[in-house]
Amino acid sequence: MRYPKRRGRLSVPGRKVGLATAAILLATTVAACGGGQNDSAPKAPATIPELTKDPLTLSFIWFDWPPAHALEDFANAEYAKERPNVTVKVKTVPNANWHDAMFTQFAAHKTDFDIPILDSQHIGEAVTNGNILDITDFVRQNIDVEAYNPYLLAAYGQFPQAETGKRDENASLYGLPLLGDTWTMIYRKDLIGDKPPQTWDEMISVAGKCQADNPGVSGLAFHQANGSDAAAVTYNTVNGVYGGNLWNPKTRKIDGVLNDAAGHEAMDVLVNKMKPLTAKGSGNWFIDEVNAAVAQGKACIAFNWIAASGGLLDPKQSTLGTTREEILGKLGFAALPSQKTNLVPLGGMGMHVSAYSPEANQAEALNFMKWFEQADIQKKWAAAGGVPSRTDALESPEFLNAAPFNQVYTDSVPRMRDMWNVPEYARLVDIENTNVNAALNGAKTPKEALDDIAKEQQSVLDAGSGKGGGGL
Amino acid sequence: MSDSAPLTSDQPGQVASATPPAPGRSRRLSDRGLAVAFTSPALLLLLAMSVFPLLWALYLSFTDYSATRGGQADFVGFGNYTAILASEQVHLRALTTLIYVVGAVTLQTVLGFAIAYLISRRTHGRGLLTTLFLVPMMLSPVVVGLFWRFMLDAQFGVINSMLGSLGLGQVEWLTGQRTALISLILVDTWQWTPFIMLIALAGLTAVPKYLYEAASIDRASEWFRFRTITLPLVWPLLLIAVLFRAIEAFRLFDLVYILTSGGPGVSTETLSFHVYKVAFLGFNTGTASAYGILMVLVVIVLTQLYLRYLNKLKED
Repeated sequence: MRYPKRRGRLSVPGRKVGLATAAILLATTVAACGGGQNDSAPKAPATIPELTKDPLTLSFIWFDWPPAHALEDFANAEYAKERPNVTVKVKTVPNANWHDAMFTQFAAHKTDFDIPILDSQHIGEAVTNGNILDITDFVRQNIDVEAYNPYLLAAYGQFPQAETGKRDENASLYGLPLLGDTWTMIYRKDLIGDKPPQTWDEMISVAGKCQADNPGVSGLAFHQANGSDAAAVTYNTVNGVYGGNLWNPKTRKIDGVLNDAAGHEAMDVLVNKMKPLTAKGSGNWFIDEVNAAVAQGKACIAFNWIAASGGLLDPKQSTLGTTREEILGKLGFAALPSQKTNLVPLGGMGMHVSAYSPEANQAEALNFMKWFEQADIQKKWAAAGGVPSRTDALESPEFLNAAPFNQVYTDSVPRMRDMWNVPEYARLVDIENTNVNAALNGAKTPKEALDDIAKEQQSVLDAGSGKGGGGL
Repeated sequence: MSDSAPLTSDQPGQVASATPPAPGRSRRLSDRGLAVAFTSPALLLLLAMSVFPLLWALYLSFTDYSATRGGQADFVGFGNYTAILASEQVHLRALTTLIYVVGAVTLQTVLGFAIAYLISRRTHGRGLLTTLFLVPMMLSPVVVGLFWRFMLDAQFGVINSMLGSLGLGQVEWLTGQRTALISLILVDTWQWTPFIMLIALAGLTAVPKYLYEAASIDRASEWFRFRTITLPLVWPLLLIAVLFRAIEAFRLFDLVYILTSGGPGVSTETLSFHVYKVAFLGFNTGTASAYGILMVLVVIVLTQLYLRYLNKLKED
């Protein structure tokens, strides 16, 4: 016997499946559409709510570098004395994924971290999207703001962005300093002498002579890669030193400001005077590659972030000596030379509280921040390898004696300048990175690259950040 | 008396349904019900994970939605599509992608077929050789990218070290405007030539031996045998391998991300890498969705043309 072939409408189970499918699609659509976003950051309570006595993991997110591991070890050793039920976990991602790893989770309105460690320039994007808590009231009641250089406090927490060197006391705060940082000049004392060059022009001249006198050793090593903010920070540093400006924050003008005479001079110095003194093929170097060149004795003068320089003194990672003292006999650390100005790049990051973290974790995060910003804890953080931000910690022997480059940081604090802290930051820095990298690698002339940066960045600012169209 | 199941049928698909339900099975569940019950989990998963995101991306592509900035997704019609098609930035990435696809796939096809042809002529060690050649294909592209990044480093890399020992100068593999794209093509070729080789080898093994024997009797030259027997019989299979590789190469992202980050400047930025930047740096979700949909359309259209050519080849 043969069973008849079914025709026509779906059977009852078929229809049920169809209905279920439609329901799932509808539910998924609702889920995808749901969760309308805040236009501004939600507020944290002024006082810390009651903390849980249950075991709790307080999660940070940062990129993978030595300070991230130092923070986890330090917090678990010290914070556990006050809050034994809390375990601190610092989740790390590759530097190039740092922004995306945080903001894709923010976009999903669900984060697996409680404390995002944002670069100072990320704050605008996070605040505008309502991703982090407004902690202005909390800071007012729990933090001694007078203990900080006002600009440091502003750079890691204030939005809208503070004017360079200042803090607007009426502006809202969204974060507190975690790790201060700036560039240090690393120079070979055995090749160029104990006294570091004082001006940028002198530095270039000394590097050129050193390269000529020492075959196989390049005059300079610095960040040139087109990932993260590598090449952009390099240009911004030279731009600042030669008296240029990145933009006019009041009029939101970049075109005509960045690419003025000073800007072009800076790009010319970078591409035509500094680049020829670097190693061949160094056009994609970032933090690790610069450190490797220094550790292997391949560079006379190098520039790198202070927080990433600790490994240079490790004899296991260096060919410059078998002991820390021997290495220090050859390596010197100094604040950046000045030229028309003495500006240096602001690095480092602040702690913020995820708006999507559970309430118990948000309370714990606020408690951690209050604990971390105490004077004695900041000194302990300095001794553990961190770079604190409180002035008393910066001037303490615990910090100044912990590493030979710490004095450089303390001296550099009044000289710092940041980039743009606006919601469009990620696109602005990408435009600058790719174009500076193109100029450094001969894909564009310096003039063409700088004019392209100014034009493209201006179009991003002019388009605004309200909608998701455009972006090409 | 019961009907017996026919041994042959002009509708082979119905033979299975001629078997009566097994004793003891619930009478409430028909064969069709069972089929639906078994297939529905996979179908629902497919709908939720593939079909819905595609439809959702299609919807977003007509809006100015941003995943982080949120708010109302306003309908912009074909605005995103026209902006993409008119953008010089996109044209530049399209050209880079085209050069990459043509360069990589051509090189892989020539090399893959040549290796397969040489292996097919061996009688001993063919299995071992084939296995060894397949190793690169088994590796993750990220791992491949990372170790080639070290090997191609201008200062510390083994490639330049070897060139130096031969008295040749240093090459800026990953930072030169021209060499960076060539490096990407070479690394992709290193990894994916085995894929073409494998398919070509399958085709070569399937060529009937008697054709070669007949050609030998006629004293046909090696080149004549290759041109008139080997190549025509392997060609359709080879074209399918080329199709797969071209689609893969068209959406290249991982190698670019690891090896060059699209540099120097944007000279090795492919379309996929550009979409990533639009989607996750600026979070311009509407534009990125339209960009992705356009890339899918390009692949579909080109594949259809290609398949028509293949069918025509078969008919001929």
